[in-house]
Amino acid sequence: MTELLIDPNIRVWVFLPIVVITFLVGIIRHYVSMLISSQKKVELTQIQDSQAMIRARLLRENGKYLTAQSFAMRRHYFNNDETGYFKTQKRPPVSPNSTAMLSDLVKGNFINVLPMVVIGGWINWMFSGFVTTKVPFPLTLRFKPMLQRGVELASLDAAWVSSASWYFLNVFGLRSIYTLVLGENNAADQTQAMQDQMSGAAGAMPQDPKAAFKAEWEALEITEYQNALQNAESELLQMVTSTARQGNSIDH
Amino acid sequence: MAYNYEQMSWSEVRDLFRKWREDNERRSDDIVLLWKRILEDNASKLGNERHLVLEQVIIAAFDCARLDISEKCIRELSQEFPGSLRVQKYKAMKYEAMGRYDEANDVLDDIISKDETNAAPRKRKIAIFKAKGKTCEAIKELCEYLKKFMSDQEAWHELCSLYLSENEYSKAAFCMEEVLLHNPHSHLIHQRLAEIRYTMGGLENIEIAKSYYSQALKLNSCNLRALYGLYLCCNHIINSKASVNKRKEAQKLASYVLSEIQSKSCVGNEKAKNDKYIGSLENAFGNLDLKSN
Repeated sequence: MTELLIDPNIRVWVFLPIVVITFLVGIIRHYVSMLISSQKKVELTQIQDSQAMIRARLLRENGKYLTAQSFAMRRHYFNNDETGYFKTQKRPPVSPNSTAMLSDLVKGNFINVLPMVVIGGWINWMFSGFVTTKVPFPLTLRFKPMLQRGVELASLDAAWVSSASWYFLNVFGLRSIYTLVLGENNAADQTQAMQDQMSGAAGAMPQDPKAAFKAEWEALEITEYQNALQNAESELLQMVTSTARQGNSIDH
Repeated sequence: MAYNYEQMSWSEVRDLFRKWREDNERRSDDIVLLWKRILEDNASKLGNERHLVLEQVIIAAFDCARLDISEKCIRELSQEFPGSLRVQKYKAMKYEAMGRYDEANDVLDDIISKDETNAAPRKRKIAIFKAKGKTCEAIKELCEYLKKFMSDQEAWHELCSLYLSENEYSKAAFCMEEVLLHNPHSHLIHQRLAEIRYTMGGLENIEIAKSYYSQALKLNSCNLRALYGLYLCCNHIINSKASVNKRKEAQKLASYVLSEIQSKSCVGNEKAKNDKYIGSLENAFGNLDLKSN
């Protein structure tokens, strides 16, 4: 196959502009989201609930260090049928269409989805149909639809990258550059936002405290008390005798 | 510690301050001194860290009763962040340091009404009760606080010492257990819990204390205080009406612990001197035993 020669004008007017545009859009997105985002207002009951959950979890994990009585007392506090924390605390289920959440959703769409569609569409329209660059290694035909979007040429080698694909490569590949420029946890990265949307509303939505309580209640209910300190003394003595024996064997 | 203040550059001081902040070291004297001598004139070079340093200096200045310095720092911060609740808290602390508790309380109440999820001002209010010497009210407030912020181990620890000062040992033990749940691998907490149990007395509690002391020693075999405590527990059990088996075990443990104490407290060739100490220690233990019986 003869080597393709690409017009240097494509480098100056297509290849570089796409890089610069995607980068700048990311930067702008970061600052706009900083401007727009509001601090999440947390309710006191939410804090109380989450702290209670942490405490119950710790009790499950480290309860073995307590005496049987102390453990039972704490479990009673959480799980008693009439007075237990997890039984008596009735929280209204979080309504998904509360105004705060709705505005959050709108803002998220405004920052993430809208520019993505607009810029992507514009780039596709403006820079469509160019072969911009070539990856420096051979690729199989399977990569053609990925790397040559917008240029459907059956005879073109798969290593060539079209302008539309170059844009997508930039969108997904600029993350580490953003961390370099804007620091960790920046809002510039589109892929992050897309992942959030993929993982769905479940993660973003504050979980229903009732269900969480029930899960924790169950977990605590089936936790069996074991005393980790039961044999502490004998283990201590054993530890000593074994180390002493080791010491002796070294001496001899 | 003595630092060569004259020769330190501002960046060295900054790093030192940062280290102290991260390690939660108070070092109030040093901080105030270094701030006055070196860092104050270079504050603008600190960048974003300046605010943190200012906060650090404010606290240190309170400790050293240098209200002029803290006043100045607070003013700087409040100019930069007008209406910030975090700065408001320092104003309340200033009133506290001056002993004007009512005004401090007003400011704190104001902060809480603005942001009721803010834990810091609630803690300050409890600190005010404590400073006034009203332990009972401090305990009451702290219990209320802990109902809302249950996994605040600092608060549990504080409640424990408050209960101890009121001789409410079983409640103090409860609080210490709560701290232990958060941090089960700290030998000091095990040791502390054992001490509380030992003080509560009664054969059952002494047994519990014994196992906690053993756990503390398992986690850190160099804990001399736990060794002493374990020795006391064992002695108590030996002299009690426990079953023969238990007494035998305690005897074995006691002899081991005593030898440990001996080896730990012997340094170098001063054995003879130390033997004397150990002898007097044993005497002291004997006396203690008489008292506890």
